[in-house]
Amino acid sequence: MNINIQFLKGVNAMRKRKPLLLIVSAVLLLTTVLAACSNSNTNNSQESPSPSSASATPGNTGGDTKPVSDTWVFGSEPLEFSLYFHYGWVDYKGMDDYPATKWLKENKQLNITPIQANGSHSEKMTTMISGNMLPDVIWGNRFDADIDRLYEAGQLVAFDEYLEKYPNLLKWAGKEKLDLLRSPDGKLYKFPNWYTNSSTNTAGYAINKKIYRELGSPKLETLDDLYAYLVKVKEKYGDQVIPFETDRAEDGQGVAILYTAFKEGALYDSLGKQLLAVPNGDKLTSVFTDPTFRESQKFVNKLYREKLMTQDAFTQTDDMVLEKLMTGRVAVYASANVTDKANKAHLELSKTNPEDGYFVTWPFHKAGLDKNKIHPGGNDRLGWNVAVITKAAKDPEKIFAFLDWYTSPEGMNLQFFGPEGKNWKGFDENGYPIFTEQADPAEIAQIQTDNLDIMLVGNAAYIDPAKISFEKTLPEEKKNWQAKYQSEVTWPSGVDITEYKNLTPPADSELGTTQQHVENLFLQVFAETTQAKSEADIDKILDQAEKDAQSYGYNKLLEWRTEQWQEKRKILGLE
Amino acid sequence: MSEAATRKTIAGPSPQSRPRKKSALHRLWKQMDVQLMVWPGILLIFVFSYIPMYGVLTAFMDYNIFTAHRIFENPWVGFKHFEAFFDAPNFWQIMRNTVVISLLKFVIGFPAPIILALMLNEVRHMVFKRVVQTITYLPHFMSWVIVGGLVMSLLSADNGSVNILLKGVGAIDEPINFLSIKDYFWTILISTNVWKEIGFSSIVYLAAIAGVDQHMYEAADIDGASKFKQIYLITLPSIMPVIIIFMVLAMGNLLNAGFEDILIIAENPLLRPVADVIDVYVYRIGLQNQKYSFAVAVGLFKAVISVGLLTMANYLARRAGSSLW
Repeated sequence: MNINIQFLKGVNAMRKRKPLLLIVSAVLLLTTVLAACSNSNTNNSQESPSPSSASATPGNTGGDTKPVSDTWVFGSEPLEFSLYFHYGWVDYKGMDDYPATKWLKENKQLNITPIQANGSHSEKMTTMISGNMLPDVIWGNRFDADIDRLYEAGQLVAFDEYLEKYPNLLKWAGKEKLDLLRSPDGKLYKFPNWYTNSSTNTAGYAINKKIYRELGSPKLETLDDLYAYLVKVKEKYGDQVIPFETDRAEDGQGVAILYTAFKEGALYDSLGKQLLAVPNGDKLTSVFTDPTFRESQKFVNKLYREKLMTQDAFTQTDDMVLEKLMTGRVAVYASANVTDKANKAHLELSKTNPEDGYFVTWPFHKAGLDKNKIHPGGNDRLGWNVAVITKAAKDPEKIFAFLDWYTSPEGMNLQFFGPEGKNWKGFDENGYPIFTEQADPAEIAQIQTDNLDIMLVGNAAYIDPAKISFEKTLPEEKKNWQAKYQSEVTWPSGVDITEYKNLTPPADSELGTTQQHVENLFLQVFAETTQAKSEADIDKILDQAEKDAQSYGYNKLLEWRTEQWQEKRKILGLE
Repeated sequence: MSEAATRKTIAGPSPQSRPRKKSALHRLWKQMDVQLMVWPGILLIFVFSYIPMYGVLTAFMDYNIFTAHRIFENPWVGFKHFEAFFDAPNFWQIMRNTVVISLLKFVIGFPAPIILALMLNEVRHMVFKRVVQTITYLPHFMSWVIVGGLVMSLLSADNGSVNILLKGVGAIDEPINFLSIKDYFWTILISTNVWKEIGFSSIVYLAAIAGVDQHMYEAADIDGASKFKQIYLITLPSIMPVIIIFMVLAMGNLLNAGFEDILIIAENPLLRPVADVIDVYVYRIGLQNQKYSFAVAVGLFKAVISVGLLTMANYLARRAGSSLW
């Protein structure tokens, strides 16, 4: 009752101030309506595919020389298109945010407009597809289901007719690699990034120099050495230091790398969701029954129980890992991309004392195995990402011409060493840049870091040797940390895993459902065995997991994968 | 003359209906200020909740996203996606988690703000009361990402404040990895939820308590009733209608075991057996893997059960004397 009276009083009060209230509510109504309108407006201007090429940027037509043939020369006319990174962890920011694109904007009349996912790329892609607002160029994971879906819906532009006209991709990637990339209809829709025939592995172990020194620089080669070292670290530093940092174990990382130390030729990718199988002769077999996996998880579990490895391995974020590395609170760091975070941390720590920092060591191995047959990571000849041009693009040929220029030696040198003139001038007899007297290694390192996110169509086949040829000109103390350890340790310890890539069934097929269930199961088992209470539990968990996996149809998936794998081996000429 | 007079009477509306019609329009006009406030809400609900509702039909189709809004171009598949959900290996696990977590949230999360409001009402020191009120309702305005980050760094095994504290007091020797232990998860989740929402939800109860007639307390004082008796016999019965209404609304949300909170706090895959609820499952399997029809089917299933629960709760509330409809 009382409440009702209060309420009525309130209503009476409202009646008295009616004109004011009327205005306020009218304004509210208007705001709602306007908000809705303005929202859709901004969406349109941001997401609609931008008009490409000539009409976009009037004036400033620097190129008076019109090409004679119908081949379009990049830079001869203004070119504009929109670019979208289909990733949750990186966005293309804009032309002025990277040295390479800034130069291209000023000198080559290029303007790439950004479309950003801001962390939720799945949702963004869904919105763009269903709203029919596709960007001109999408850069993303080569195996991404969304990109395949765009292909199936006929939304992508095939590159075949451009390949001969603009020869750099064909020349540097080679026909065989492009054949592997072809879609089921036999056409090429994907422009690869970081394709090469040589190893590009960057997985491995980094050791904290200061801690290593303070513990008397013991021999670190076998897993027993590693274990003894971790125990010593814990004894000496207690909770202050993480003896073994695994990075984000949800993605495999340090935990999966240890797996490769237990068997010659064991693959890091066996524990990855795209493969989730162990090659045995000419068959792919279950990972849950793999004795090597059991052995390695028991070792990992021991490290976990004795608090020798990251206790937050499955919950921590990237930032937390980097923070630990940067402050030198990690003794041994294992990661699928060890030369990335450890490099940043090394640069930071060596600022205060040049003796400190990290070094990358040759991969650990179980005693008795050949250390040269241990491969913590692999390389895929097709690299990582791909760029695709959608049908939304007004002038796909010009965009292709740009991508082809960008992957050429000219484009690669711009991204790695800056524009011609300062750090390099002209090419030597092998086609590599000739470095000038003023070439500044610190500046070059900075250029590479700043351009990293915009290296869309990296030509590793060309630039890796070029990088090495530059490193060779430098004295030992000025050598780039990353380039040094990549060429000395991680590249040589990698293995070619091209044949195991892209063994994923279509997501909406029955096998796709199986794959999803098995993938979820594996991730859970991976975490459970790592954190199990005792060694005996591990076998129990894995036996149960094998049973569950079989009930989801894991065997059928393995058979299908084996078939696909054998076909790829044929294309690659491995049979 | 007489004819004109007759016409006038005939043409004019009958005295019975005219005043009613006039008053309906008139009443509408008189309430124009209030009406203006309601319309945007109705419009929003209509545009964003009713118009898109035909999309639930995709639960019975194999929806292809490229058909966009032309959903009838997709093939009908009947109950295929519902069956796929019921046959999913962890269906019972998900149902159990959904029910248990939402029940816990209801049983603990619902009375907590009422208790806080009752306690705050007894505080006589105004400055202290205001400070407590402000501090308790602040977390409501933080997003789950921030709260989740806070919880994760508080409970982290590496340099987490809780572990440092427990070690400092001597309660433990080795840091406990709270967010990787299944047994702790529900406790962490529910307490975080209560902490985040308790202050804000208590506002409405405080307002209701403020409306209770002070004379009743004076009379009770004279009769010698203790503070607890006054709360039990005067305050609680007075705010009971409000409590019941909010309880019915909360029942409708019973299957909403939460989404962002679980997604963020239960990062460790080890926790999935206790943390996977319907919404998280729909997000991971349906939306992240673009199985839209499947996601819609599961969502529809959840909605049907929720409507059932709401109807039941309302029936019970009606018997208690105050219901929604």
